[in-house]
Amino acid sequence: MENSIAMTILIFLGVAIIMVPLGKKLGLSSVIGYLLGGILIGPFCLQLTGKNAEDIMHASELGVIMLLFLVGLELEPQKLWQIRKRILGLGLSQMLLSICGVFIVFYIAGFGLQKSFIISLCFAMSSTAIVLQTLKEKNLFRTVSGESSFSILLFQDIAVIPILALLPFLSASDKAYTQEHGQFLLHYIPDWLQPFTVIVAVFTLILLGRYLFIPFLRFVSKSGLNELLTAASLFLVIGVSELMISIGLSPALGAFIAGVMLANSEFRHELESNIDPFKGLLLAVFFVSVGATINFDIIASKPVFIFSAAFIVLAIKASVLFGIGKYYRMNNEQSFFLAFALSQVGEFAFVLINFSASLFLIDYQANSELMAIVAITMCISPLLLIFKEKVLDKRFIKQKSEENIELGIIKQRKIIIVGFGYFGSTVGRLLKANGIRSTVLDNDPDRVALLRSNGFNVYYGDATKPTLLRAAGIEEAELLVICLDDPEKNKFLVDYAKENYPGLKIFVRAKNRLDAYEFLNKKVDNIYRETLGTAVDMAVDILQENGMRKYTARRMGKRFMIIDKAMTRRLAREKDNNTITFTLRETLEREAQLLALDSISFEENHWSGDDEEDK
Amino acid sequence: MKKTLVLFAHPYFEHSTTNVRLLECYDDMDNVTFRDLYEDYPDFHIQPFRERKRIVEYDRIIFHFPIIWFGLPPLLKLWIDEVFDMRWISEGDQNILSGKDALIIMTVGGSESNYSKDGKYKTTAEELLTGLRVSLDINHIELKKTHIIYNADNLDDSQLDVSCQELTQILKVE
Repeated sequence: MENSIAMTILIFLGVAIIMVPLGKKLGLSSVIGYLLGGILIGPFCLQLTGKNAEDIMHASELGVIMLLFLVGLELEPQKLWQIRKRILGLGLSQMLLSICGVFIVFYIAGFGLQKSFIISLCFAMSSTAIVLQTLKEKNLFRTVSGESSFSILLFQDIAVIPILALLPFLSASDKAYTQEHGQFLLHYIPDWLQPFTVIVAVFTLILLGRYLFIPFLRFVSKSGLNELLTAASLFLVIGVSELMISIGLSPALGAFIAGVMLANSEFRHELESNIDPFKGLLLAVFFVSVGATINFDIIASKPVFIFSAAFIVLAIKASVLFGIGKYYRMNNEQSFFLAFALSQVGEFAFVLINFSASLFLIDYQANSELMAIVAITMCISPLLLIFKEKVLDKRFIKQKSEENIELGIIKQRKIIIVGFGYFGSTVGRLLKANGIRSTVLDNDPDRVALLRSNGFNVYYGDATKPTLLRAAGIEEAELLVICLDDPEKNKFLVDYAKENYPGLKIFVRAKNRLDAYEFLNKKVDNIYRETLGTAVDMAVDILQENGMRKYTARRMGKRFMIIDKAMTRRLAREKDNNTITFTLRETLEREAQLLALDSISFEENHWSGDDEEDK
Repeated sequence: MKKTLVLFAHPYFEHSTTNVRLLECYDDMDNVTFRDLYEDYPDFHIQPFRERKRIVEYDRIIFHFPIIWFGLPPLLKLWIDEVFDMRWISEGDQNILSGKDALIIMTVGGSESNYSKDGKYKTTAEELLTGLRVSLDINHIELKKTHIIYNADNLDDSQLDVSCQELTQILKVE
């Protein structure tokens, strides 16, 4: 069956929509769902894809490039520095040992020296997409095994870049270069410089990142149009990768460096939130197309070889990982998690294998075989994790509870402050003065630039966009501090956070008592009326001017605040049902009620205090 | 076990080691309400009526505090000033406090020899509590026991273990 590109994409997305939720039900990660979906529509099952599948696979490799850009964005140089030893130790040992193990086995099995080496490079990689997805789904990021997995993945992600740069040098034939897309820019570089293109390109990108990308994004953000920033983000990523292709280098490397260069900028979370949906979509299509291009004829012709290879690779990687886990003094449960979670061969292997094939380092036959092995390992490793959870964990339960206590790493709670105007910045400054770090979101580009130059951790973006909140890490955040000027936006954020992140503690700025009623009825406990404290301070000073002793005036002010807050709660409860907005008349009525209550409650003996711990 | 209210007051609790350990003794006890005054009233604005309403429910009050410059921590003194009422001891009025009993648990930085008539401070640690003792007495609160932990800034782990055992015993006083 031959389809138009649009039709093929439609089928791809359709099968993803059906298969991924099905896979989730069975406890499989989304990647497996995509792969199964791809196999289902592939030429060996329903035959819904035409010859377009491979073209689409190439087109959707842009998803992998975006993935690397996002990995770069996550890699703030400082963060990298903090966990450098773990990344280097765990990552390097995993890569080297896995490469050695796989190389020896394949070399003994009679593959050539070069071929075995390439195969071992590809197979040492684990799947970032699968593992990160698993960590996220099981909420394991902050555990020892989670952090170790992340460190190893990070090292692999970085290792891909030198490997991609290395492969062309392994290729004996010059044909490889002419195969690449038009490298017109290369001709303008003097011959003696050509061997240094990698270094030159990296430096050019660093300079571009410093002096062009950020001013460019600032310029665009001043227009205040969201869709323009999305366009600019895509332009940047695709532009950089095209630039790299045109000088004959890996586009993934370019995207990664561009990401790192922007990791420190105020646009980091905005870029993440803009690129992420495209990356997700393209990766989904990529995985489906990988599934669709698995050649079952080859598996059928050599089933013993393919399956035994897949299992040997899994066994080698798992035992290497288990050994590393033990060496780094993890307990059995953590080491088993590491071993099973990272034992599959990852999506970078697809890229590396295809790249090697395009360099004629391996032939078509081997290419298909390797792809099949990779896909099989990817399908098996989630099953291993299920096995670990269902069978092995029961034995470790004792150990686990001990580990939880020991694990109590005292970390400051993750705080997101939304809105950094006069109100929010006061909050942020007091926190910062006491060494409490927070992630700040604000949508005034000038203010963001100014604050950043003063060392604040501020990011540009519209915080009412869920994607930006996610990019800023709302999923791991414990406190959300909402200080926007616009009460409606504050209410929207409260609703959104309450609905999607019920565990999140919310601190909200309220314009006045009426706002406070609404927040109270939305079950927010920490409400700060921006006028209350200042107005009371003023009244206290006026009492002093009238001859009251300062201490007495201050006590009266304090008492007034306590009573006022308690009354606000009481009144909010009384009318919480159908009144969402107040008419002017109702507003006045409530003020009158308050005044009436004041005159009773200030008489000491009637004021017996509210038993709920109102402060 | 009597229904007990622990009033703990420590302005510099984050720098304390001894009191962190001692407070663990209250964990396993039944019928105990533990109140950390410096957490409850960080701005020193005590709500006396709320306090009075609560205090009625208890049979025993434990005052637990370090000596600060030879006196009670200021917030504990303020709590007593605000909550206790002179009218209760005037004749004819009903005193909500009478019939209760009390324990005092106090940590001091100095050694026992410094706190003696011939020592460095020429004053015993008990004498520093005169005001509190009279206040309890006049309200008909029976002071069951005063427990003083000396050298509280320099106790090692084994000494702390001993202190904790002692405190646990004292808390069992009927």
